[in-house]
Amino acid sequence: MRSGITRQALRRHRWTLVGPACTQLLGAAVIAVMLMTAASLSAPGLSAADRRSVRAGGMTDTTAVFLGDSIYLSVLVVAVTMNLAVSRQLRDIALLRSVGATPGQLRWSVLLQAVAVSLPASLLGIALAVPLGSGWVALLRAHDALPDGVRFTPGLVVLPIVVGIQLGTSVVGAAVAGRRTIRSAPAIALSETSGDRRHIGPARTALGLLLVGGGIAGSAVVSALAADQADDAALFVLLAECIGIGLLGPVVLRAAAAVLRPLLPGGLPRLALDEVAALSRPLAGTLVPLVLAMAFAGIKVAARTTSAAVTGSPGPPAEVWTDWSGTAVFCAFAGVAALNALVTVLVSRDRDLAVLQLAGGTRRRLLLVVSSEAALVATTAVLLAGLAAGATLLPMLHTSLGTWLPRVPAPALAAGLTLAFGVVAAGTVLPVAVLTRRPALHRSGGAG
Amino acid sequence: MDTVVQLTGVSRSYRTGGRETVALDDVSLDVAAGEFVAVMGVTGSGKSTLLHCAAGLERPSAGTVRLVGRDLGRLGEAARTRLRRDSVGVVFQSYNLLSELTVAQNVLLPQRLGGPRARPLAEVLASVGLAGTEQRPVGELSGGQRQRVAVARALAADPAVVFADEPTGALDPTTGAQVVGLLRTAVDTRAVAVVLVTHDPRVAAASDRLVLLHAGALVSDGPTPDVAAIAEQLAAVSGAPQAASR
Repeated sequence: MRSGITRQALRRHRWTLVGPACTQLLGAAVIAVMLMTAASLSAPGLSAADRRSVRAGGMTDTTAVFLGDSIYLSVLVVAVTMNLAVSRQLRDIALLRSVGATPGQLRWSVLLQAVAVSLPASLLGIALAVPLGSGWVALLRAHDALPDGVRFTPGLVVLPIVVGIQLGTSVVGAAVAGRRTIRSAPAIALSETSGDRRHIGPARTALGLLLVGGGIAGSAVVSALAADQADDAALFVLLAECIGIGLLGPVVLRAAAAVLRPLLPGGLPRLALDEVAALSRPLAGTLVPLVLAMAFAGIKVAARTTSAAVTGSPGPPAEVWTDWSGTAVFCAFAGVAALNALVTVLVSRDRDLAVLQLAGGTRRRLLLVVSSEAALVATTAVLLAGLAAGATLLPMLHTSLGTWLPRVPAPALAAGLTLAFGVVAAGTVLPVAVLTRRPALHRSGGAG
Repeated sequence: MDTVVQLTGVSRSYRTGGRETVALDDVSLDVAAGEFVAVMGVTGSGKSTLLHCAAGLERPSAGTVRLVGRDLGRLGEAARTRLRRDSVGVVFQSYNLLSELTVAQNVLLPQRLGGPRARPLAEVLASVGLAGTEQRPVGELSGGQRQRVAVARALAADPAVVFADEPTGALDPTTGAQVVGLLRTAVDTRAVAVVLVTHDPRVAAASDRLVLLHAGALVSDGPTPDVAAIAEQLAAVSGAPQAASR
């Protein structure tokens, strides 16, 4: 019965599960590229001179930072998208429970779904990593960031690591969502009675505050370290702040909606604010990759530009290129991850969108509502990223360069904002445009 | 009285698996303002399809549907949606509310989507017996209360016509009677036309006019008799005995 339930769920929710599958494929590819690159930097065939050159260029540290970021981001987004995909099965799980499926059978089914999604996606991601990694190392060589002797060396040793990370995260994300979903009383789930899903628990709030506060305090500590140590430690400070922001995300989004409510007239903007407040929990999952990517990129860009402005030297060209291109790759990954999370959230709102259409919302008006929601989410993400980047960077700038004023080139700022707003718009508006093409009556369940 | 719904020779067929199924076969029907019409028939007789075509939720395969004087066949999807938002209320068996939003936010949805200024919220909620529930999430309400919210949303813009598709199907008889009573009151006090699809002769007994469908065709149309006579008519049409009540 268990595999029957799993097969049925995989068939019925295949489009919802595409989100976590894509994220895991991409996450596995990026992690595998970084792992294989790291292995290539210390390959046995490398000459002593090349090894010295690699160490002197700081590529080992840079790769380690990108690897850490990739693992963190992948873990986070895989957990979020898997969680959303399983939560969407609330009604099906309630139906199965009402006809006799035990919680244990359903828990296994959810875990099997996570494995069924994660395993092929991870293996495909590792396969994709070979040409991508080869291209990445070739680019590093071409820009003198690596000596000519370094060759990309793919190895199967990454397989257990990548599959372990992806599978573990996917299973944990699914298990957490499954536990909550399966625990819901079948009668309540079937009658679409919602619990109070807007509010987060006191433990989550306390942990979020602790991580944000700890991150800010950590920035002050990190600023007292030597420059190269501070650079590596700052990443962990930023990660702590971003996890804290993710945990507090629903509160932040509801607060943003509450602040704007008196300022906006009735009609569509008010409906958008109502929706953001009501959906603050799933939307908060999309904030984290956006905030992390923008804060990370902001720190990298501002640190290098401010250093160049204060010291008068832009730094070694190879190092600059590596920093910029690595940050761009990381931001692209985060952008796709955010896009994925947004699409997963939107797809799970299909019935709600159908209800809005039945209540008299034209497709154009629905697009305006979700565009307004997207604008609010993107603006919140930009502001939070600015705060996180500022809290991490400013003490370091003051200690190492004697300035509190970070410099960010206008084109970089414009590109960052365009990317953030573009990703959020694409992840909300496009799915709505596609979903609302089908008749609302069939999607609402009112055709009966 | 003005005709608010006019179906002329309306047919609707579906093609599934290479087979064509006729859900509605050449049905003509006029509904005047302030008229309460109950549509009955056995499962698969075309009741819901008739209601969906009349409300502009589905396009007929043939025939003409005029809603508050507008030919729906000449309107695009957006124009039909606007017409529904401004002049029509729809109540479904499955409520079709946004369970994360509050009662007030659900009732005001058509207005928030650009519809006409609604009747005062407090008045609408009081009229359906939900005064003081404005800020409660609808997910916390009972089935009967949620259907009242759906009725309030349908009546909030003071529509010309309300279409109700099995609105009591998920409710107990007492609660169902209360919901039908709300629609009856709207007909009597605000001259709203109501087209209600139901299986239940007791629900249909609240209407002024009874329309019976069988195999997609309109087989009977006249003043609504008492509950027992409705059950007899339905049984005669379907060829099976029908209980007078649930």
